[in-house]
Amino acid sequence: MSPVSGRNRKQKGANALKLGMYFRRHWQLYALLILPISYFLLFKYGPMYGVIIAFKDFNFFQGINGSKWIGFDAFREVFAMKDFYKTLRNTLMLNFLDLLLSFPAPLILAIMLYELKSVWFKKLSQTILYIPHFISWVIIGGIVYQVFGTQSGMINNIVTSLGFDAIPFLTDKNDWLLTYLLVGVWQSAGWGTIIYLAALTGINKELFEAAEVDGAGRLRKIWSITLPSLKPTIVTLLIINLGNMIAIGFERPYIIGNTAVREYSDVLSTFVYRIGIESGQYTLATVVGLFQAVVGLVFVLGANYASKKLADQSIL
Amino acid sequence: MRERHASRTFDVINAIAILFFVLICLAPFLHIIAISLSSARAIMTGEVSLIPVDLNWNAYKQVFSDMSMIRSLGFTVMLTLLFTLLCMLMTIAAAYPLAKTGLKGRKPLMFIIVITMFFSGGIIPEYMLVRNLHLLDTVWALVLPGLISPFYLIILITFFQNIPDSLEESAQIDGSSYIRTLVSIIIPLSLPVIATLSLFYAVGRWNGFTDTLMYITSPEMYPLQLKLYQLVQNNMVSELMQMEGASGQSMLQPESLKAASVIFATVPILIVYPWLQRYFVNGVMIGAVKG
Amino acid sequence: MAINAKTKKKTSILLALTLVCTLLLSACGGKDKENGSSGNSGASGKQVTLKVEVFDRGNSPAGSTITNNYLTNYVQDNFGKPNNINVQFVPVPRSEEVKKLNVLMASGGDVPDIVFTYDSATFYRYAQQGGLTELSELIEQHAPNLKSFLGEDTLAYGQFEGQQFAIPAKRSHLGKYSSFIRQDWLDKLNLPIPQTTDELYNTLKAFKEKDPGQTGGKVIPLGMALAPAQYEPLIWSFIQPLTDEQRITLTQQLGSRDYPTLLPGFKDALQFMNKLYNEGLMSVDFSLDEDKKKLSEDVSKGLVGFFSEDDMNPFYPDGMYATLQANNPGATLTSVDVYSNSEGKHPKPEYAPIGLFIMIPKTSDRAVEAIKYLDWMASENNLFNMQNGVEGENYTLKDGVPVMKADATEEAKNRIYNWGDMAIISNGKQLGDADKNVEAYVLGMPEQYQDETRRALTVSRNDTFKPVKFDRPIEAQNKYGTGLLDKFHEIVVQTTMAKPDKFESTFESMMKDYMANGGQAILDERTKVYESMK
Repeated sequence: MSPVSGRNRKQKGANALKLGMYFRRHWQLYALLILPISYFLLFKYGPMYGVIIAFKDFNFFQGINGSKWIGFDAFREVFAMKDFYKTLRNTLMLNFLDLLLSFPAPLILAIMLYELKSVWFKKLSQTILYIPHFISWVIIGGIVYQVFGTQSGMINNIVTSLGFDAIPFLTDKNDWLLTYLLVGVWQSAGWGTIIYLAALTGINKELFEAAEVDGAGRLRKIWSITLPSLKPTIVTLLIINLGNMIAIGFERPYIIGNTAVREYSDVLSTFVYRIGIESGQYTLATVVGLFQAVVGLVFVLGANYASKKLADQSIL
Repeated sequence: MRERHASRTFDVINAIAILFFVLICLAPFLHIIAISLSSARAIMTGEVSLIPVDLNWNAYKQVFSDMSMIRSLGFTVMLTLLFTLLCMLMTIAAAYPLAKTGLKGRKPLMFIIVITMFFSGGIIPEYMLVRNLHLLDTVWALVLPGLISPFYLIILITFFQNIPDSLEESAQIDGSSYIRTLVSIIIPLSLPVIATLSLFYAVGRWNGFTDTLMYITSPEMYPLQLKLYQLVQNNMVSELMQMEGASGQSMLQPESLKAASVIFATVPILIVYPWLQRYFVNGVMIGAVKG
Repeated sequence: MAINAKTKKKTSILLALTLVCTLLLSACGGKDKENGSSGNSGASGKQVTLKVEVFDRGNSPAGSTITNNYLTNYVQDNFGKPNNINVQFVPVPRSEEVKKLNVLMASGGDVPDIVFTYDSATFYRYAQQGGLTELSELIEQHAPNLKSFLGEDTLAYGQFEGQQFAIPAKRSHLGKYSSFIRQDWLDKLNLPIPQTTDELYNTLKAFKEKDPGQTGGKVIPLGMALAPAQYEPLIWSFIQPLTDEQRITLTQQLGSRDYPTLLPGFKDALQFMNKLYNEGLMSVDFSLDEDKKKLSEDVSKGLVGFFSEDDMNPFYPDGMYATLQANNPGATLTSVDVYSNSEGKHPKPEYAPIGLFIMIPKTSDRAVEAIKYLDWMASENNLFNMQNGVEGENYTLKDGVPVMKADATEEAKNRIYNWGDMAIISNGKQLGDADKNVEAYVLGMPEQYQDETRRALTVSRNDTFKPVKFDRPIEAQNKYGTGLLDKFHEIVVQTTMAKPDKFESTFESMMKDYMANGGQAILDERTKVYESMK
């Protein structure tokens, strides 16, 4: 028996003992985790074999196992489609613009609400501001048309009566970008304030009083007290949003988008809808989904790493 | 004095800006209400903007006398309550241990969870799973698959992590077990975020219906949003009508009925947030630390 | 102590909720499938279950559900009982029918014995992947009535590589589109109804310049939307007369319709649209109007002088015409056939003579019963009764044509609220010949519009051409069809709205994009099939 392995064995034994003691002391924590983790394993990992569809020529009746294996053929096919790259570019572009505009909006709005003096006005505003979140996109589509339409839209009616040319909010692809973003802010800003407002309730009011004594103005107080206390929330949401850069919801581009601006409004989700779901071609749809999943995961891990280094915060 | 003046200016500008946002958020809602109370002729001509034209309550009479809508309302409320309750229980149970950075096995567990935010099997494997578990056409098919949202879980973990360790330590010194600490200290301190996440779960379940389309066949179990979707989508574009040989009359849904159904399906969930607002109580945490 | 009280309150709420939800569970969770189908085929003695799909549009009237109403009872009483079959209807939301059907077919066990779809690509996919029962034997043996009702022509559409995999429904009225013009405007300006495209152009200009409707400059001479009913009559009128070879190889079927992207004359059509658009003679936002809502609004407001539409659409109660006249009592519409080609004809597409594709999955044990059901529907008066209800209460007979009673009771009307979805073997009412079928539609419209409706339904059957039919599906079309349809719309929109000097370059680049994304593939495949068919 070599002294090295002997020591190792003893070490292992001691470690095992430590581990045992650890579990015995903290068993409640693991007990709490049993059901949640089982949920993930059963309902999320259970169906995950479905990603194999990306590598098979899916036949409804032969099922996933019976369908023919085609390796990366479907990937080659998708990556050869010009439309794929166009929709990829649009996805990233729209998400990036959203990050610039739609991400700060709820934050700013939340702080504004927080600063409101009148309690009843604050409560009323909060409730009304998130109504747009509840209106289904199909209906929003109709409303957008009525507001932004070139010929008889509300805004253009005002513009033309002032003597200017009508602005093609919906039919010029660049103007459309603005419309898309504004509608996004309108729809989600109010709702997004909820999480920030919840975080803001935890601020110690005494900090404000102390700052007042030091002669700080309103904006100063917001900058040095309110914002920092929201840092954890902001960073977490930012990481998750960055991870979602490659994914994009289906409804907003589909509903707000239209034929005239397809150059910009066609995104990965509408692409999948067209070539995959509508044509029943699950293989192609799964390929794009898999692509998005891998890229998204890489993004999130990257963002998480950056945040760990820069802001000392991480979700992993 | 100068500061007070600047402060008041700030307040005024702030209030006006908020008022502006409130109005643009309210306007479309008023528009839908106006449509629900107007006549078909006025709607088709595009006369209706924010106030009803040819005011009538027919659409609402129709909605409220439709027993299937009422039943669906009841079912959706029950479903949402059940769902939110179970989701929060599970999310809290998972967030508490995972918030402890020293927990052995935490990193791999977090990884497992984050992966599910990106990778999924697709509708067919998911359908097969629900079917193999014999959950098809039961209320559990609408509750179990979405039991924990990784996104909300992460938010809750972040919040738990920001509760000062000193609170937990003092509780443990007093001999409190983990579960006891969770229930009697952590949860009460986290009421704002728990209320928020409950709201998110509830709204998600209330508004969602795509899973119902796949898993449910009994019309008694159609949630409100699904019935609404059917009404709005089945606005048979005339080409479709022709293609499907309809006689026309029975297939056209009046716009006012659609609008009334939208209001009917949206108002209940709108009232939940104001009701939950009382849980957003300020200063609870600070008092505890001080004490 | 505040915390304890809160905890107690929470616990009691929790208990209450759990109790409530357990009750809920027991009520809903145990939805027993009472009629588990017995294994043996029910020749005699043992009752068997036949599961039939039915579209659910969410509009079941009070007192009935989609699975339990007058028509389902009619079927059970007149077909189920005598044959010892329990007919069960499985609802599928209409708006998700293809998606849900795909999932059902993939899952194997839960799929009904009779399924159907309007989407031919879906039918071909199932047939090709081997998921459907072959039906020719069964039809020979058990469905003579069905066979004679449908006829060989209709049945041919349900064949795939020579085998009968679907039973197509028979369509009663094949016309699609008519055009409409403001007669009162023509009268005011003392103009005749235009008979050719050139005359139409001049008429449109007159509408714009003279504004007979006194719209204050808001007149829209040509009402346009981004929907087939609006652009097809225009575009097809520019297509030059074709040889058989051209017609078969160059046409492109995208989705359920044939498109003229590669046909000679397409460019001219777009040029005409470009001219109209840039001269302010066309709806400015037509590219946004895919559901025709804006067009309907503009017509109802009295702004539009001329437009094309689905032949019946303007005449429904509370429809375009009714609303127009409510707003503007002197306004009148005439159904006209104007767009003309080089031969002076007014070419328009007509429907393929089919409706639903009815299929029986291969996994079904009840193929015999299913075929018998369809045959029953085609026998005696069963179809007629399902579509029309009870004589005297729902309708009266006028020269063999059922006229729906306008004063029928709610209860009577609700009886047959979903006849279109239950009487699956027919698309529209079948009364023996095309004219009679048209009468059935005409007499269903409000009285003051019946003459005009009849005229419109005659226009829509005039100078029509059938869709091109192959005996096998074109793979490339199934694959690229939906995507190319979007591209087609893009071509129309971009070339129409381009500044006149940019028309050429826009057209060239968009066509290149179209060809590269499947257009060429479809062309190649169709040419190959044509060669093999010669």
